[in-house]
Amino acid sequence: MIKRLRTIFQAGVVLAAIVTGMRFAMGWSLTSVEKYCPFGGLETAYALLARKRFTCAAGELNLGLFVALILLAVLARKAFCGWACPLGAVFEWTGRLGRKVFGRESYQGLWDIPPKVDATLKIVLRLAVVAAVLAATWATGELVFRGYDPYYVLFSANGHDVRTWSYAILGALFLLGALVPLAWCKYLCPLGAALWPFSAAGRIRLRRHGELCTGCGSCDDACPQALAVSSVPEVRSGECTLCLECTAACPTGGALELHLTGVRP
Amino acid sequence: MRIPQWVIPTLVILCAVLGIGGARLLAVPSVVKEYSAAPAAHPRTTLLVVSGVKCVDTAERAANQLKDLPGVLRFAAYASRNRVEVTFDPDRVGVQDIREAIEGPVYDEGTQETQFHVFQVLEVDGLEVPTR
Repeated sequence: MIKRLRTIFQAGVVLAAIVTGMRFAMGWSLTSVEKYCPFGGLETAYALLARKRFTCAAGELNLGLFVALILLAVLARKAFCGWACPLGAVFEWTGRLGRKVFGRESYQGLWDIPPKVDATLKIVLRLAVVAAVLAATWATGELVFRGYDPYYVLFSANGHDVRTWSYAILGALFLLGALVPLAWCKYLCPLGAALWPFSAAGRIRLRRHGELCTGCGSCDDACPQALAVSSVPEVRSGECTLCLECTAACPTGGALELHLTGVRP
Repeated sequence: MRIPQWVIPTLVILCAVLGIGGARLLAVPSVVKEYSAAPAAHPRTTLLVVSGVKCVDTAERAANQLKDLPGVLRFAAYASRNRVEVTFDPDRVGVQDIREAIEGPVYDEGTQETQFHVFQVLEVDGLEVPTR
């Protein structure tokens, strides 16, 4: 049930993004997909503080969504990524396709990346992307990331600043996403990096009841983020999107439950 | 405390409602221009939706369209929503004059070319207007 509901959410946001992009491209609407990008809120934050105005085409909608996302992350971690990010949905489907094509049982990817390397890459690469994007945006006053941004390239229907190389980068990211599921989200997404500190402190967490858990590992195989759910009593990783794939995959139907931590019943 | 699974999609929906609905509280103009017109006894402000005003640069260009129009006191653009607020002296200039000035040919100093149909006023004070 919850799995189907999430699929409906994801399909809905992807469809909404496609329709928004097409309507703007056809001249039927003045609202471009970039107006719904929460990362635009962070990109424009400096200009707003220093010059009391927004950067380029960013506006209050970007900022409002970014602030709301931080509030969501403090409570429900990266639920946005797992439920409402159209790019996350497309890359998750790509990872699922890659999993089928390459006959893998989990979302671990084609290569076995050691946990320490994986954790380092998640921090270093994403922080580098955030730093580069923010520095360039704040220095130029332009949304310079547009042409490289897979969300914008995919959904803007050949929008402003999208070039041939933009599609080449998008294609490469899809290929990478098939080989290493959610590679963009895990290692490159600047919004994911910006949300990470809030998500890591997020109050809603999955708890595994050891007395009910059979240790079958179905939850590990089902996790799109390839988190080791079966080996921890509580999923504290800031990467958890609360997609609830693990609870749906659990054969005992009670070993994994959502808890609001820090609050006694 | 144990919580049911439906809480997660509910929170996601609430986040979207809060982000989109609360965004208006965070609105600040992308561009503000004060023109050196004589003060008006009864200034009026009109709200326009202008196709072509979509970023800071285009809002600056739209503001330049009004710089030589007598009676225009202030221009404020909310580019992300394609909205322009123009404060003017109704004794010296009318909304129609403002519309014509905004929609007029735009001289691009960079390319030194005159461009046409760069801006189009779609709404005046919440009412759709026929496009030209």
